[in-house]
Amino acid sequence: MILDKKYIIAILGIIAAFAIGLVFFFMFAEPYGDGLEKTMENADYEEEEQSYSAPLDYGDNYFAALIMGIVGFVIVLLCVLLYARFMRKKDETRDN
Amino acid sequence: MHIPDGLMEPLVLACGWIIALIVVGLSFKILNKRMEDKQIPLMAVLAAGIFVAQMINFPIGGGTSGHLVGAALAAILLGPFAGLVVITTILVIQCLIFGDGGITALGLNTLNMGIIGCFVGWWVFKIFPEKYGNIGTFLGSWAAVFIGSFACAVQLSLSYSLSGGTYGIPFEIAVPMMLGYHVIIGIGEGFITTGIISYLTRTSPEILKMPKITFRSPKEVMVK
Repeated sequence: MILDKKYIIAILGIIAAFAIGLVFFFMFAEPYGDGLEKTMENADYEEEEQSYSAPLDYGDNYFAALIMGIVGFVIVLLCVLLYARFMRKKDETRDN
Repeated sequence: MHIPDGLMEPLVLACGWIIALIVVGLSFKILNKRMEDKQIPLMAVLAAGIFVAQMINFPIGGGTSGHLVGAALAAILLGPFAGLVVITTILVIQCLIFGDGGITALGLNTLNMGIIGCFVGWWVFKIFPEKYGNIGTFLGSWAAVFIGSFACAVQLSLSYSLSGGTYGIPFEIAVPMMLGYHVIIGIGEGFITTGIISYLTRTSPEILKMPKITFRSPKEVMVK
């Protein structure tokens, strides 16, 4: 088992905090751009079409954002775990 | 603070890629050599946690919002090299899978949020003795965001000057606006990071005592 009980509890806690935090995000901050976006807006800079079209986005309502957040959470978690496991295996093979 | 495609001058983008590839490559190399098994779950859960935390913007007034970057948090918990690997992984997934941040600007985004965030956050945090850890955490997180935003403002101004106005934003708009917004966003970052570190200090002190992947002292290098 890669993740022990302590980390499983932490994951559940983070997902729960995310689900609650998203409520406040949609209530208070959703329409507002971040610091860089506001700077671009104030300089009358129009964002160009992006050169790469990503397969997913963060979603524009609570449930879509919640699902996309969990999808992203799992992808990031697995990427780091698989990378670290791969590197450890490589080390073990080299040591043997 | 995710820079989109088409905002920066290609030469500035290229410089960002070169710096990011060198520093991130070195960080991966150091991480691969010194990573311990017990650090792996923390790295993975922290990376995933920062990813979702970055999705939650908080209002800072004046119709503007900000979100946690998490670079100082990752650097304080894992050390700056492992922290940078965590933030880079998040930025790559945000860009390639969710379209957050331009693919051509990935180098600059890694430089501003990852490299500057992790190393500035770590160094400021380390200036303070352990008993002033909360102050170090708060100021380290604030400085990580503020200096990162200053770097972004300089890149915007450079892009504007080099391209004769085709790319970027003039210095007199970019610098005061970016710094004005991020001086406040950094305070949010500071409170969130200090809150998380204080919570972990109370509930899981062993996490804070885990070895950090950081710079070796000259003595350690000589022993090696």
